[in-house]
Amino acid sequence: MQFIKRSFRPEQIRELSLIVLIALIIMFFSSQIEGYFSPRIFNRVTSDVAIIAVVALGETLVLLTRNYDLSVASVVGLTAFFIGKQLTAYPDLNPMLAMLLAISAGAGLGLINGLLVSYGRIPSIIVTLGTLAIYRAALVAYPGNKIVVINDLPEWITKLGSTQLFSIGEFDIRPVVAGGLLMFIIFQLVTSYTRFGRRLYAIGSNPEAARIGGLPSQRIVLSSYILCGAIAGLAGFLYLVRYGNLNTAAASGMELKAIAAAVVGGVSTNGGKGTVMGALLGAIMINLLQQSLLRWLVISDFWVDALLGLLILLAVLIDSVIMNRLGVLWRGRDLNPVDEKIIEEKKSHAA
Amino acid sequence: MLRRFERLKSWEGVLLVLLIGIVIFNSSATPHYLLLQNQVNLFQLHIEKIIIVPIMAFIIINGEIDLSVASVMALAGCVMGYLFEKDVPFGLCILAGLLTGVLTGAFNGFMVAYVRMTSLVVTLSGLIGYRGLAHVLLENRSVGNFPEWFDRLGQKPLVGPFPFALIVFLILFVIALIILQWSGAGRYVFVIGNNSEVARYSGVNVRRVKMMLYIVSGFIAAFAGLLLTARLGSIRGDLAIGTELEVITMVLLGGVSIFGGTGSLYGVLLSILIILNLRNGMGLLNIPGENQTGVIGALLILSVLVPNIGRGISEAWNRRRVQRIRVGEEEKGGKPA
Amino acid sequence: MSIEEKVPVLQMRHISKRFDTTQALDDVALDLYPGEIHALMGENGAGKSTLIKIMTGVYQPDTGEMLLDGKSIKVGNSVDAQAYGIAAIYQEPMVYPDLNVAENIFVSHRSGGVIVNWRKLYKDAEEILAKLDVKLDVRMPARGLTLAAQQTIEIAKAISLNVRVLIMDEPTASLSAHEAEQLFIFTRALRTQGVSILYISHRMEEVFEIADRVTVFRDGKHISTLPRKEATREKTIRDMVGRKIEDFFAKSTGQRGELLMSVRGLKKANTFSDINFDLYRGEVLGFAGLVGARRTDVGLALFGVEPADSGEVVLNGRTEKIHSPEQALKIGIAYVTEDRRQIGLTMAMSIVSNVSLPMLRQYLSRLGLIQTRKEEATAEHYRERLSIRTPSIQHPVAMLSGGNQQKVMLSKWLNTKPQILILDEPTRGIDVGAKAEVHQIINELAAQGLGIILISSDMPEILAMSDRILVMREGRQMGIFNREEATQEVILTAAMGQNSGTLETV
Repeated sequence: MQFIKRSFRPEQIRELSLIVLIALIIMFFSSQIEGYFSPRIFNRVTSDVAIIAVVALGETLVLLTRNYDLSVASVVGLTAFFIGKQLTAYPDLNPMLAMLLAISAGAGLGLINGLLVSYGRIPSIIVTLGTLAIYRAALVAYPGNKIVVINDLPEWITKLGSTQLFSIGEFDIRPVVAGGLLMFIIFQLVTSYTRFGRRLYAIGSNPEAARIGGLPSQRIVLSSYILCGAIAGLAGFLYLVRYGNLNTAAASGMELKAIAAAVVGGVSTNGGKGTVMGALLGAIMINLLQQSLLRWLVISDFWVDALLGLLILLAVLIDSVIMNRLGVLWRGRDLNPVDEKIIEEKKSHAA
Repeated sequence: MLRRFERLKSWEGVLLVLLIGIVIFNSSATPHYLLLQNQVNLFQLHIEKIIIVPIMAFIIINGEIDLSVASVMALAGCVMGYLFEKDVPFGLCILAGLLTGVLTGAFNGFMVAYVRMTSLVVTLSGLIGYRGLAHVLLENRSVGNFPEWFDRLGQKPLVGPFPFALIVFLILFVIALIILQWSGAGRYVFVIGNNSEVARYSGVNVRRVKMMLYIVSGFIAAFAGLLLTARLGSIRGDLAIGTELEVITMVLLGGVSIFGGTGSLYGVLLSILIILNLRNGMGLLNIPGENQTGVIGALLILSVLVPNIGRGISEAWNRRRVQRIRVGEEEKGGKPA
Repeated sequence: MSIEEKVPVLQMRHISKRFDTTQALDDVALDLYPGEIHALMGENGAGKSTLIKIMTGVYQPDTGEMLLDGKSIKVGNSVDAQAYGIAAIYQEPMVYPDLNVAENIFVSHRSGGVIVNWRKLYKDAEEILAKLDVKLDVRMPARGLTLAAQQTIEIAKAISLNVRVLIMDEPTASLSAHEAEQLFIFTRALRTQGVSILYISHRMEEVFEIADRVTVFRDGKHISTLPRKEATREKTIRDMVGRKIEDFFAKSTGQRGELLMSVRGLKKANTFSDINFDLYRGEVLGFAGLVGARRTDVGLALFGVEPADSGEVVLNGRTEKIHSPEQALKIGIAYVTEDRRQIGLTMAMSIVSNVSLPMLRQYLSRLGLIQTRKEEATAEHYRERLSIRTPSIQHPVAMLSGGNQQKVMLSKWLNTKPQILILDEPTRGIDVGAKAEVHQIINELAAQGLGIILISSDMPEILAMSDRILVMREGRQMGIFNREEATQEVILTAAMGQNSGTLETV
């Protein structure tokens, strides 16, 4: 027991339980649905998850600091649209350049959010409610016709979606998926092992203490928004690759799904708690359920959203109830550490 | 209370100035702008959202939020439509729709007040879940052909030029105003929003107040959903998507703090008028809907940004002024250094 | 070498700061030398916390300058303060609940690489804690640790940052006597290492035990700075208050009436158990104990905020099961919290609104509208009766001094016309003058026939004010002592767990 206590923190137990749950879901549905374990489904799930998970990743960085970014969907849509338009006009544009362009555009949009929240001292809900509308308006205001058509896009866009980087048996790992996974690993390391990452947690855990206690909170929060925007920009690029055909409603509503994924994954909307990996697991679980229900003939697939709502509630309930119990278990009896000293003193006196 | 009151006064003052400016601009563009009929039309397009605004203001002042209102609108309409399809007597369909709002409100309220979950999370899952249920009921279909009186109530004026919905809003607003400013219940809403622990320790039944607020919110949202269905003449599962954000924007622009504890319905009314007239004016300029929303989003941000900047400037200026006075005194050989 | 011959670490010169209409600091000066414990005293509103905020970079002074080792510096924000080695510890420790102990200590370090070396972090944290002779599991999240443990983390943090000037603002306010002693040991150790300590406290005994020099502020002005040997209690109080105060502990008169409440076997799982006592009209029953004794929990149970699991409460002959504050108020029990900022008063609202809140239903007309004139009359009545100093009863409570806020809280609960008043640390964090007034009020209330339970960690206060004292330790009742037999020693011994002397179990 001591070994477990020393090696694992309560959050990691949470993530483990998510993995177990996902495994259970897979086991259940594979018994109900023919060919559940097929590569086709795997590819479908992973491609879908990649985009929403990446957005959830960026959102998590902001949520950790006790802030919100409701504008991510508009950022994804805007950058996807923007890059699509650019590629339609300049089909010779280098793919890497196109991706970098998307990321920088997203970073710029995130910068605006961050400046307003950090230095303008405006509550993040208000800022990102506003920019959600402003960025969507920018998308609609984009000159030219209001759609991007896949036939106008260079070939590599469609190829990128379906080529495989490498395969494990019959299961393909596509570039999009590999890239997404890589990002998660990178950012999990950043949030666990870098000063910057740990400060995100500190700021969310006690913003007052961070402000008074010598942390450059404004700069850190600004950085989290820039990162969230850049990541959303990347997601926009992925969105373009995945769907090709875009209209002005691209990615509408995605911010809620991103937040939902993070919350199911154990990220607290109050900041300071949860991990990037948790957000990934949350996104996987949600999407897995969605895809499974789609193929399960017992209930209609229109139940997906209704069940998702329930799932979020359950996840958060479990968090508060079980984590509290676990927390007490972790500390052993609620013994005042100073009391321990008194007892030891008395023992030595008595001896 | 004094300082906050003064700050609110200046917020409402600015809103008033803004409103007057917009109305002047609009009436110069269109000759009959200030006619009653035109003003009524202004409201009509967005009346269902506006009906929800007062209760949303209450909830935000109380320190909570309700993101599920738009989905409850849709669900209530879909319940009614679903039963109507099954040839249930229409009166019962309507009642069922309204009951839906009460039940969702009670569920929301229970989770927030008794289970003590964060209202953002509860109503977010409600936003997703209730709309999901709406889709379960009507899938991809739309239901229409409602009894003639229903459609007429939603689309044609009832008393003079005033449609039913608008009359409901006016009555609701007056009641809300009285309750919030002058009644004990309103005081409780403010106190709980300011500090719910103090309220609890002072013997206020915080849970009951929150529960009531959410039930009312659910009911009004359901009512608004039915009204919208009547106005459109049909109901689909994706009714009123995104409406919750517009409602919240109207409340926040009206000076209600997102943190709870302050706000006034006068400001909220001004905010509604501003947004309506602004949209109308932009429509006259042929600005598309999403762009209008963008402008309103910018307005929302500026409404908090500008006072913040102003405060920063006045603080810095004061500091320079005092320093200059000190230096001046030293130079004159006044106060000993 | 006398203290004045060394070079001061930090000098504040001609510091002034104005907020709107209040001159918080007016041309004050303060010198801090290395290796001294310098006490700063003054009533609430004297400017102490403003000075601290300027020293730590939260505020900028309107005029004046700060000198570090003789050189002029500018502390523009908390990052600057840290760079100059200036740190502050407050009454409410500022820890990051979700981070573990080691992270809490090191998270705000400017130095160090981009990558966090966890093993080194844990080792360094353990080293510093060992220096303080404290045992804490550095991997534990800070949430759920006791206040004293959290404060230890703050001290460890300051040490790790090579602090040169450590400001301690009412550090013992939430600590038991033993923990306070522990803190003094740390403080003296820091002094030996050459740290300069600015110690702010309302507790005279502490100040005179630990300080090397004593400075007094009043109304934003610097009044005096004296070596401890020259500073006497009377002179210090006179400097703080500007007038002579005779006796700031009113003794209670002890006329006891009939039996009011009887508590038997009160128990709450994992909190307290087997609490038995009687309360009589006109008596002040003190609740003494170390922090963690769970006295507040008993109070909360009697008031219905956190109801007990089992046990019997008989009030005026009727057995009551108290399950909510609403109900407690109905049967005549009122509880005045120790935490007036977080749960005692609505800071942003007016005095009037605060006072009427528990009884708001009585101020409603038939339609449910508030009768404001009736409300205001009530507030005026208490303003006079308790001498609440405020420009107007419509003023937000946040603008009042601590002592006046306490009086507003008392008004609020007196307005409920209770039979039993539970006071939880009623004089914590308020100045000497207001403290005396509160004690007088308590005596008056007892004389009027209320039964009063006084929960207090202020030993002199509880000894002076109580007719009987109930001592608790870690949720258990250790005994009830009469006024005659209660001395500091007796109470402390019982509070620490060794029972001796006459024990009254009921």
